[in-house]
Order: sequence, then C-alpha cells, then structure tokens
Amino acid sequence: MEKNFIIAGFGGQGVLLAGEVLANAFMLAGKHVTWYPSYGAEMRGGTVNCEIVMSDEEVSEVNKSDTDFVIALNQASFDRFLSKIKKGGWMIANSTLAKEIKTRTDINYLFAPITKLAEEVGNIKMANILALGLLAKASRLVSIDTLNQALDTVIPPHRKNLLPLNMKALKIGYEYDLLPV
Amino acid sequence: MSTQCLTNKKVLTKGNYAIAQAAVLAGCQCYFGYPITPQSEIGEFMSGKMQELNRGYVSAESELAAINMVIGAVSTGVKAMTSSSSCAVSLMQEALSYATTDELPVVLVSVMRGGPGLGNIYPSQGDYFQVTKGGGNGDYNLIVLAPSTVQECVDLTYKAFYLAQKYRNPTVLLADGLLGQMMEPVEFYDYPYPEIDTSDWALTGAKGRKSRIIRSYGPLAEDRCVFLEKLFQKYKVIEENEVEWEEINTDDADIVLVSFGSTSRNVKTAMKKLREKGIKAGFFRPITLYPFPNKRLAELSRKTKKFVTVEVNMGQMVNDVKLAVNGNCPVELIHKGVGAPPSADEIVLKIEELL
Amino acid sequence: MATQVFKLPDSLKGDVKYSFCPGCDHGVAVRLVAEVLDELGIRENTILAASIGCSVTLYDFIDVDSLEAPHGRALAEATGIKRAKPDKIVFTYQGDGDFASIGLAESMHAALRGENLTAICINNTTYGMTGGQLGPTTLLGQVTTTSPTGRNVEYYGYPIKIAEHIALCDGTAFSARVSLDTVANIRKAKQAIKKAFEVQIKGLGFGFVEILSTCPTNWKMSPQKAHERVRNEMMPVFKPGIYKDVTLQN
Repeated sequence: MEKNFIIAGFGGQGVLLAGEVLANAFMLAGKHVTWYPSYGAEMRGGTVNCEIVMSDEEVSEVNKSDTDFVIALNQASFDRFLSKIKKGGWMIANSTLAKEIKTRTDINYLFAPITKLAEEVGNIKMANILALGLLAKASRLVSIDTLNQALDTVIPPHRKNLLPLNMKALKIGYEYDLLPV
Repeated sequence: MSTQCLTNKKVLTKGNYAIAQAAVLAGCQCYFGYPITPQSEIGEFMSGKMQELNRGYVSAESELAAINMVIGAVSTGVKAMTSSSSCAVSLMQEALSYATTDELPVVLVSVMRGGPGLGNIYPSQGDYFQVTKGGGNGDYNLIVLAPSTVQECVDLTYKAFYLAQKYRNPTVLLADGLLGQMMEPVEFYDYPYPEIDTSDWALTGAKGRKSRIIRSYGPLAEDRCVFLEKLFQKYKVIEENEVEWEEINTDDADIVLVSFGSTSRNVKTAMKKLREKGIKAGFFRPITLYPFPNKRLAELSRKTKKFVTVEVNMGQMVNDVKLAVNGNCPVELIHKGVGAPPSADEIVLKIEELL
Repeated sequence: MATQVFKLPDSLKGDVKYSFCPGCDHGVAVRLVAEVLDELGIRENTILAASIGCSVTLYDFIDVDSLEAPHGRALAEATGIKRAKPDKIVFTYQGDGDFASIGLAESMHAALRGENLTAICINNTTYGMTGGQLGPTTLLGQVTTTSPTGRNVEYYGYPIKIAEHIALCDGTAFSARVSLDTVANIRKAKQAIKKAFEVQIKGLGFGFVEILSTCPTNWKMSPQKAHERVRNEMMPVFKPGIYKDVTLQN
C-alpha cells in the first residue's frame, strides 16, 4: 500500500512542520516515507505546500501526478489541489478560510473551521497540528498515539513547553465531529 | 533540524542535513562554504557543529575562496569539504582542475539547481556535464557519485571522503535540489572505510625530512607528459575498480531505461508499470557518473533492443550512454528541462510513444 | 683562524639555481624571509602557500613545505591550512597583482577575519612574469606594455595603497611598508618581516608587509637606476612606514 498526502496553506501556517510531524509518525510506525516541500510556481501564489508519500515498500516516486489526501488550510490551496485528488480521496479543508463548495462528487470532503478551532485551543498557530488530527480520523492510516510521539520527536528541546498544547490541538482535531461530511 | 549525530536508529532527515551529518561522522575536519539555495542548510549545520567539535569552519568570502580553502586544508592530510550549487560550482572549476593535478582529496557536494546562468532554485540535473566533463582546463577527471535517496546521501558522502583520499583525486557528491530538500528516514553509522595514511605526502612542516612541494606547475613538456600518463594510469585503476551501478530486470529487457539521481526513482517505478503492461522494460542506474559504467552498458547493448535515458536537463548523460552503446542499438532521450522529475505515468506514456 | 661571516640561511635550499633577474629585489626579499625563519627557529613547523607570478618560484628556493595556489588564492589556501593545522606557521609570498588585484577579496577577508597568517607582498608596480603590464600598483604616468602612453586617471584609474588598506582591517595585527633600496632599509624590512611572523606566533592576528621592489627587466633600467626609481618615484606615493602594530597599542 502506498498513500500520498499534500498539506498546503499560507506561508506561516506551519504547513511544512505539519508535514514533518506526519512523516515522522509514519516512520515511527515502520513505514517507508518521503517528505518534500513544494517546488514550482505555486510558491509565488501565496501558498506553501509539502507532499508526503507513505508506503509499505520503497517509495515509488516523487512529484506524483495525483494524491490521496489534501489538507487545504486556505482558499488558494483548496483551489489548486482539488483536481489532484484521486477518485475516492479526501479534501480536508479549513472552512474558516475556504468556501464550502463541493464541485467534485467523486471525492470525500471534510470541512472544519480549523483556524477557529485552533483559536479556541488557545493558539492560532496550532491550526496545522489540529488539521493532522482531522486527517488521522479521516484516513485511519495513523494513530493519535503515534502522532503524539512524532510531535515529541519534532519539537526541539527548547520548545518542549509547547508540546501539551500541540497534543491538545491534535486531540481536538481528532475528536471533531466528522458527520457534516 | 536534528543536531544529534550519533544514533543507530532511523531519523527523518533532510538530504542537506544528512550530507552534513555524514560528513561530520566521516571525520571531516574543516568545512568552508558560501551560501546558495538549495544547499544552504549544509553550511548552516556545519557552522554550529564544527565549532562544537573544535574543528574548522569558515564562512568564505566567495566560492573561489571556499574551494581553495579546502585545497589548503586537505593539503595537510585532513578530510575537508565544501558544498555549493550549479552557478556557484562554476566558480570552483579552476580550483578543481588544480586539485586534480595537485592530487589532493578535495570533497565537493554539488546540489544542482536550474541553469544556465542564475537559472532558478528548482531541482535539475543540468550539471552532469559540469562535473563529468569538467569546466576546468586540461585533462582530468573528477570522481562523481550520484545519490538517489537521502540514505544514499549518507552512504555516498562517506564514500566520497574515502575515494578522494584513496585516489588523491577531487570527488563530487552530485545531488539535486529535490534530494537536498526532501526528508526521508535515514540511518547514520560509523565511517565504514579504513582511514588512509596521508603521512607520505601531506604538508605538515619539513621536520626530520625533506621539504615537500604540492604544485600544478609543470614547466617542462616532457615531464608533463610523464605526469599526465601517470595521472591517467590512476584513472584507469579507478575505472577498473570503482564503477558502481544498480540494475533491475535487464536480463530479458527489450528496452532499458537509464537514469541517475532522484529522477531514477520515478524511472524505476515507470519500469515496473511497463512490466505490468507486458512491456519488457529494464532499469539501469549509474551510481558513479565517473567512472561511468561503460562496459556493462556495452554488454547490455548486445542483448537489448533500445536504451532510453531519462534526465532533468536537455540531454547530457545520453551522450555517455551513446558512447558506451557504440551504435549497437538506438538510444533515445526523455527529458524535462528543469524541475521535479517527470512522474512515472508521464514516463510510461512517453515510452509507449517511442515503441 | 678563519671565522665564517656569511652563509646561506638554513631555510634556503643550497643546491638550486636562483632564477630571478639580475638586480631584482625578489632575491633580497627571499633571503630576508629565510633569515627570519632561521632566527625564529620555525622552518620545520612552517608551511608556505605560494602564489602565481615571479613570486611563485619561492618554493624552489625556500626549504619549507609548500602548496601552490591558483592566482590570487594564496590567502584562501593559507586559511585552509591554518584552520586544519592551527599549530603550524603559515605564510604567503605574493606579488602586488596576486595580492591586490585578482586576490584582493581573499587578502582583505583574511585580514578582516584576523587569520593568524603572515603575508608578504612584493610591490614592483607591474606584472613582472608576463612581461610588464599595468597592475594595481602601477604609478600614475608609468609606461607599461598595457599603458603605452603612461597611466592616466581618466583611462586607468588610481593605484592601490595596499599597506594602508590592510591596516584598516580590524583583524590586522601588523601592517607595514618597507623598501630594499639601502642597507638601512633592508635592515628595517627584515625587522618588519620578523614582526609579521611574531604576531602570528603570538596569535594576535594578520601580519602583513608590503615590500617596494625593483623590476629592472620590465622597467628597462639598470639595478642602480631601478633603486633610484624606488626612492624617487615609488616612495613618495607608497610611503614606507608601520601602518598598524597592535603590540605597540597595548
């Protein structure tokens, strides 16, 4: 099995860090994994993205033409990556910053007010990690325990005070009611 | 950034950091560099680490200075390196030429970006010619190793230091922006090669022995001929002993896909997809770009019907494949000028068009 | 009983033919460097980063480990040697073209970083080895093969005053300009060269000496006339003196 994930948003939304946490989680779960940041014109369009490929075997390719999951933290990312999602894949979108429009009928949508929820957690910067909670629930490919472990790996020693808040954001994302899909 | 180096478990690491950590573990005593995207993380990592370990680090005033500082350091017998990218590696060509004739174990990490000129910061394989054919003057070869994964960035960094010292020849680790910027789980381990004794040539002060001169100047034509013959005898030994490549499904292949570096990963998958479609495709990846696996490609050219090289440039390695194949069968090119490699599906489509 | 009053310094090779032109001050400068290495007792612990130009031949004469740098890059290579082996004494011996034209960035930055290195620069107002072309120190009015009607500001710009510039760098411990036109000045030159090594040995920073020298061949002058030119034309522009000495400031 091989699955790939695109995480995209504004620069400063912690897109690359969220990807690093997800990639670490897959590594900790014993999977093969590759993370790479966006390369291309989209870097100038106000969005940053990274792609994570998780596989039971050697990762087959980089710069894949399609993806299984997209986390879109803003409208521009939603617009850009909607068409890249495979049939039956998932668009997990931040409804605080992206309109809830479902133009494709062959994919799953999960709209959640990610920015608003992060503010409620106590720090708007936790939106990226909160989104990983949503992804964990929707994809069933990674557990919250493993993501917590990954957070501990990625957050450097001098920032460990932020670990509890990150874990809380992850939990809130994971426990968000998926029914509106 | 992960700064802890000694670990036996896998660590998710960016290619640039993997190269830097491996260099530290290989015993690199000095790093000299000048920033350029997409390899600046190497210098950033080294600035802290070398100081912590009481080794040498200089933020050089230019790439010219950086590579010449490496020449200075390695002339004393220690391991030293610099890293750079494309248009800035251009500035180092003079020193690389000197280092081949000085017979000094310079290690250069070249993380390719788009060219020519300033080009752009996207990944590219446009500097195959730059490192294998040389931009410097005179007859020389650089040993060139091309990793395709972050783990290989580690493995081949170790090897670059070893081969450079073993043959006293500048050695290049040729990565690209994609490898430099991507993260993958890697395992770091102790330097696996024997330490090379440099005491019979290194400059350490003429105490209790005759003074030594390391120089590239050869004023007499006859002497220079003798030196060049000797230098090329060494290259012959390197060509006989150090060629490395990976090949899959080539035994019964009608078409062999040839590719190096990060691009080869998508090419390998394209080969598998072609097999699923009933096309007998094989995969061939040169790991050493110099010495190039000429002999093996020549052998394969007598069994297979066609070679296709896949490169992110306008077609460079394809020339070496053609030389190796020597007209035994057609050699085609699939390429993309710059950027991330074509996807496996795109490659499959283009190959189907060729058949 | 006979006493030996003159001998070759131990730091010079005795079995080689010295190839400098008759009357060229390189020979004197090389001897002074060798005498200083002898007196400081550092020959066996010293490494030379040689340069390109007439100065390159130093490694044929001086009996220390030597590395030949590409044109202008001697102080980069010296920096590499010193960073790899901080306990070694490392010096360069360069011409003005090497030091102050093609290698100006390397020279200034070695001084700015305060590298514990010694640099000797021979200023003869021309590119000697290639046949006397206009260089960074060519004087205004001076005729060279590439300034056939003499150096004028409008066309060629101004010459560089090296010792003054190096003295401005915070990392410089010692910067002086000397000449070799009289016995007295040769003695002063040797003191300056010694000082430039001593500051390195003490770890005080960059030690630099600019030596005003003759190039009788390219100047098309007799050795005597050439020394008169040093005195009458060069010294008024390139004033000898110590421009920085941190050991006096303390």
